[in-house]
Amino acid sequence: MKILPRSMEEAQEQEAVELLERRASRLREQAETTVEEAVHWIAEFPLGEERYALSLEMLRAALPLRMVTPVPLSAPHVVGVLRFQGQVLSALSLASMLGGHGWRQDPAVLLVVDRGDGELCALDCEAIPRPTTLPMSVVEAARVRAEGPVMEVFTQDRQLIHLIDLKRLFTTRSTGGRNAR
Amino acid sequence: MPVDPMLQGLVTGFAVEAQEVIQKVTMDLLELEREGLDAGALARLYVRLGRHLHTLKGSASSLGLQDLGDIAHKLEDALAPLKASTRKMPRSVVDVLLHGLDLFMLRAQAHADGRGDALPDPAAALAQLVAEGPPPETVGALLAGAATASAPVEPSATPEENALVEAASALNPQDAVPESADTGWRVSVRQVTSLMREVERLREVRLRVEERGRELDRVVTVLAKQGLLAETAEARTLLSGTSRSLRTDGEETSDIVDALEDGLKAITTRPVRTILDPLQRMVRDLSRQLGKEARLSVVGSELSLDRRLLEKLQGALVHLLRNAVDHGLEMPSQREKAGKHHEGALTLRIEQQGNLLFLECSDDGAGIDVIRVRKVAESRGVVTSDEAERLNENQVRDLIFRPGFSTRSDVTDTSGRGVGLDAVRASVEGLQGRIEVNSTPGQGTRFVMTLPVDLGSSPVLVVRALEQLVGLPMLAVEATQLARADSLRIGKRKAHLEYQGQLLPVVDLGARLGLRALAPPVEGQPLLIVQSGGKRVALGVDAVVGDRDLVIRPLPSEVRDVPAWQGAATLSRGELLLICRPDWLVTESGQAAVAAQRRALVVDDSLTARALHRAMLEAGGFSVHLAASGARALDRLATDTYDVVICDLDMEEMDGTQLIARLREKKETSSLPVILVSAHDSAAARERGMAAGADGYLSKRECAAGRLLAEVLDVMSRRGGRA
Repeated sequence: MKILPRSMEEAQEQEAVELLERRASRLREQAETTVEEAVHWIAEFPLGEERYALSLEMLRAALPLRMVTPVPLSAPHVVGVLRFQGQVLSALSLASMLGGHGWRQDPAVLLVVDRGDGELCALDCEAIPRPTTLPMSVVEAARVRAEGPVMEVFTQDRQLIHLIDLKRLFTTRSTGGRNAR
Repeated sequence: MPVDPMLQGLVTGFAVEAQEVIQKVTMDLLELEREGLDAGALARLYVRLGRHLHTLKGSASSLGLQDLGDIAHKLEDALAPLKASTRKMPRSVVDVLLHGLDLFMLRAQAHADGRGDALPDPAAALAQLVAEGPPPETVGALLAGAATASAPVEPSATPEENALVEAASALNPQDAVPESADTGWRVSVRQVTSLMREVERLREVRLRVEERGRELDRVVTVLAKQGLLAETAEARTLLSGTSRSLRTDGEETSDIVDALEDGLKAITTRPVRTILDPLQRMVRDLSRQLGKEARLSVVGSELSLDRRLLEKLQGALVHLLRNAVDHGLEMPSQREKAGKHHEGALTLRIEQQGNLLFLECSDDGAGIDVIRVRKVAESRGVVTSDEAERLNENQVRDLIFRPGFSTRSDVTDTSGRGVGLDAVRASVEGLQGRIEVNSTPGQGTRFVMTLPVDLGSSPVLVVRALEQLVGLPMLAVEATQLARADSLRIGKRKAHLEYQGQLLPVVDLGARLGLRALAPPVEGQPLLIVQSGGKRVALGVDAVVGDRDLVIRPLPSEVRDVPAWQGAATLSRGELLLICRPDWLVTESGQAAVAAQRRALVVDDSLTARALHRAMLEAGGFSVHLAASGARALDRLATDTYDVVICDLDMEEMDGTQLIARLREKKETSSLPVILVSAHDSAAARERGMAAGADGYLSKRECAAGRLLAEVLDVMSRRGGRA
């Protein structure tokens, strides 16, 4: 059998076919993945050396940390109060709520979140969070395992993310101040 | 039978009007049966009563409601023999008239609901009404002993006047009737709440507009400084014009916000008297039923409050008053033996301070028998005998709010089921309020409810303690003065101010809020005389900023239970001002106990970093004060002593190394342990900090709870402090 050299047109046509096949194959894979893997949208942010996240659906706004009025005699995790869309909200120290965490840079952002009971509050944060996804199955499995408000979830690239369950976080915390009755 | 819709509308309107008139008649009747009114007042009441009854009769007849006309006529008949007497009305006559009014109102409501045809023949009820009442000829006997009235009697309504009232009511019943449900709108609570929130957002927009105006003014100033005066003249003129327009727009928005808020207030509130007036009748009926005598006085009924709040409070007030009559007040003979007036005095006092409503229900009865309460609580299983032993008197008194508690051994219509005060507390707490009880044996009992209210602005005095601005409800501030040595009495633990012949304890606001250590007032320091619940203190502040009319909002749940604060208000630049509770200020604090704690000063320009350090150190048993800059830390160290300073390395104006240098210069602070903290984790930064004289260095990353505390204790022990 004699092998004839391909003409330029033939080679281009062949490359185009291969390219189209690769694209089709990739799209098929994506579709299969989409069907199999429901995802959970999260807002991910750093806290000290670790990566934390909360459900994106609970996040209402990210604000610069300013105009916060300190509240003397309040509980230690309360940074102060601020106005947000006609309401008075508490600004809370997330590091303090999580049990005295170290931090890399002083928080400059406030995340306004739904506490899980319909009430809003603001949590301090070192940087504006990044929206990303986690496989729903992984989140559900972590939720079952976790006893406290923080779930440890590994991403596909084996990065550990501490996913905060806000409802659990606020249910387990007492709300009284230092001099609360 | 088909009813003319127009006539039905008039009947509905009439029912609303009748209810209002009947409420007035009821109040007049209760007044008429009391002792101590002079003849003139009695005469006026009789005349007014006659007119009201006549109005009811006329309006009912004009609408063809003959049964109601007949009832009103009978009531007029019962009143007729008394009108000229100008003596207090006999109880039996008051009973008949009140019963007649109940009958009238029941039937009026049935007509309004379209159930008029199904009503029984009024003849029987009328016959009963007449039978219950004393015959006219015996009314004179009931008034036995009464001398002929000496005071001039006002003439009763003339036939012309009566005809006029009747004609006016018949022609234009809707004029006298408040807007009924048919002529208004039905709106949900959520819609109104959402509208209120939008108004608050508009207020914020107004504040932002003002801020933009100020920014424009700053731009104009900057442009003028650039040395390009001629080139920027046109731009500056334009910007100044825009700034002025913004200011005008801001003022107009402000007016709109105020008008909207007033409108909302009118829609959502009603006078407190609308729930208090009917309670008079309830107290009267109940005390008669129990063979007691009681008089209810109301103070503050002219206040207008949120309708939802009033509806929820009504049940609680009914419980408290029934409780006071049943359990609190003694029988008239017992009262007289105890040297009291045979008629028990009940008082309802309503007062609004800022966004807090104080509702006090008191009686001058026997007071709460603490021994009995303890015994009953034990026997009913509310507490165990061990628990009961450990309770102090206040805690025992609080047992009356527990479910299932009742000192009645038998169940009556009034009490004995152990349901009542626990329901009152539940409803008050449901409104995010609280209830307290005070009682003195033989003198009476006082329940005080404190509830947050949302609507309306109130005058607030803004003061400063260190850097913290604090608002005080103006109603609680009696006077302000500057501290003078000759009026102060300074003891070892407390200072007192001589004020109007009294010695008032001096409370330092900064120390009370935990911002600094307790110190006696200094010459020239502003002192405010603050009163609440009959107690007064002289409040020492660092400055009086001024008075403002502010809308006070409730605090979020995380800080709602901090007893120092009752709410927060927005200041003109948009920042929140915390409003202090006067009742908290006048109560004794436990500051003396705090003095023995180890003290730390945290210096950091980051609010959240300060909060975190504070949390960690307080968890380790430290009393923590905060400073937002090096300069403020030096101020604090000039007056207070600390066991350790935790200081941020990188701060504007004066960084951590500069602060250490200043501390080491002074003899008092030269050996004060200082730990530097920094976001920088490099060896160079650490070296720089230690070289400056720091005793320890931690990166903020390392500042996890245990690590910071361990470092603090280590440094203190090395320096020979109270580690």
